[in-house]
Amino acid sequence: MLTVESTRFGTVEVPDEAVIEFPNGILGLQGRKWTLMARDPDSDFLWLHSLEDPSLALPVTNPWLFFPDYVVEIDDNDAKRIGVQTPADADVYVTVRAAEALEDFRANLRAPILVHSGQAHQIINQIPEPVQAPMFNAVTETADEVALETSVG
Amino acid sequence: MLHITRRAGQTIRIGDDIVIEITEIGGSHVRIGIDAPREVQVLRDEIWQAVEEENRAAASSDADLPTPARADAEQG
Repeated sequence: MLTVESTRFGTVEVPDEAVIEFPNGILGLQGRKWTLMARDPDSDFLWLHSLEDPSLALPVTNPWLFFPDYVVEIDDNDAKRIGVQTPADADVYVTVRAAEALEDFRANLRAPILVHSGQAHQIINQIPEPVQAPMFNAVTETADEVALETSVG
Repeated sequence: MLHITRRAGQTIRIGDDIVIEITEIGGSHVRIGIDAPREVQVLRDEIWQAVEEENRAAASSDADLPTPARADAEQG
């Protein structure tokens, strides 16, 4: 059992089997040992929390809760590297950029996180999904325009 | 930065186990083949940077996230 003094959530006990190792780390963030925390059983979001930096955590979600038609295609090299052939072999999460307004929430569908046997990798989806996909239906069409713009490249 | 001139079909070796081959040159594009160890992640730099930025932005998210019920309430 590990104890994390989370700056967001206070003291959190993490069982050893809940430790997730990112052998290649997470792009732009420090550390290789993380865990998934559910703060609220009714929430669609989990927190990917660092076990090395108590202030480092990012919300993630099951992408199919928000994007039922979402498809992840794993590059052959990645499949060999991470030992996961298809998304069905792993738990799939996407990172969430939270915001004050729901219509500004974004999910990164281009770089899903695949968790498998205590190890996790953030891979690049071979299907060029947007890096910033709007998660909640906006009242206007603005969100769709943003989706089109961010899907380029 | 080291600059090396190569022709199509020629290669560059980095260390013991990374080989980069210029496979095709055409117009403004160059096609490159990369042989690298399995544990080395090879990505286009613009994708690498975009993912880095998203990860950092996600990590600055506030601890208070909506539940689906709250989402419905605020949208309704």
